[in-house]
Amino acid sequence: MYRIPKARALGAAVAVIVIAASLAACSGSSGGIKVTGAWARNSAAVTGAGAAYLVIQNTGSEADALIGASTPAAKTAEMHETKVIESAAPSGSGGMGGAMGSTSPMMGMVPVSRIEIPAGGSVELKPGSYHLMLMSLVADLSAGDTIELTLQFEKAGKITVKAEVRAQ
Amino acid sequence: MPYRLPFSMLVAIALLTSLLATGCASVPAVPSVQMVPNRTPPPIGVRDTVYNPPRPAPALRLTDQDGKPFALTSLRGSPVFVYFGYTHCPDVCPTTLADLRAAISAAGIDAKVVFVTIDPARDTPAKVKQYLDFYAAGFIGLSGSDADIATAAKDWAVGYLAGPADSNGNYPMTHTTESYLVDGAGLLRNHIFFGAPTSLIVSILRTATGA
Repeated sequence: MYRIPKARALGAAVAVIVIAASLAACSGSSGGIKVTGAWARNSAAVTGAGAAYLVIQNTGSEADALIGASTPAAKTAEMHETKVIESAAPSGSGGMGGAMGSTSPMMGMVPVSRIEIPAGGSVELKPGSYHLMLMSLVADLSAGDTIELTLQFEKAGKITVKAEVRAQ
Repeated sequence: MPYRLPFSMLVAIALLTSLLATGCASVPAVPSVQMVPNRTPPPIGVRDTVYNPPRPAPALRLTDQDGKPFALTSLRGSPVFVYFGYTHCPDVCPTTLADLRAAISAAGIDAKVVFVTIDPARDTPAKVKQYLDFYAAGFIGLSGSDADIATAAKDWAVGYLAGPADSNGNYPMTHTTESYLVDGAGLLRNHIFFGAPTSLIVSILRTATGA
């Protein structure tokens, strides 16, 4: 009578540990979607915002899309793209700009609602490009810290990864 | 007995899931599959980084992070990187400051970094101080009145524009993202495009200082 409950308890314990370990990994996958290399930049909470970067690989035969993100480290996490804003005219176009013979481009961030991950392709979220903007940080993100990011994919569902905070 | 099989299966499934899901940092960041390009390269012309001949740097008379008046001329004798950004900027500004810091360290040259806010409404000198203290890199941070910042930006040909605020009152700034190198004689030597590799910044710094 006691052997079965023990086996059950052991099985349950192993399952809990294994599932917890897989949830806490710094890479994660679901279906054909694999997330690797997640990191966040060290940021002072006083500035209100931080950024996280990672690589999403789609080994599946169907396109998927990143459609949302969240983290316990910030009130909200949004997908943003840093890009050259063509329509914005520099307000300080005089001075050295004219003498240089070129007007410097303006860069800005725009929120994006989805980031397409083509079948068999990958997308890198990196500085100066797509990134997760962590808004209203709960605390300072200091180098060496680890934060958890949960990514929501259209087809693959949720993937949670750990991101190391780095000063780079 | 009836429960043994389901739990064994659960363990097996959990183990399999774990094997699939873990891999951690050992997984190469760049997979063998085709990468989708998603970084905007600097437009042609912006890579022309040398001011030839060097010209006197425009004035920069603002308020430093300790609330004291600042003039760029006070740094004569040291090479100085000047960068216009804002503290609520999560991506481009901290990337640039980290790049400059890495290059200064790699070059082994005592260059200063002056961060000028283009968002004085939020970036008071006290806020700029908290921001720079967090990075603990010895950077100088400048703020001022809207008019003073506008004048400085115009003199340096820096453009900026506040974006629409979200429901929490947060707003992004669109801005030019070059940094500028002023040599120890107060001459403007280079402007450096966003994303310039460390090696290029090091070589620019060495050239400007004759090192």
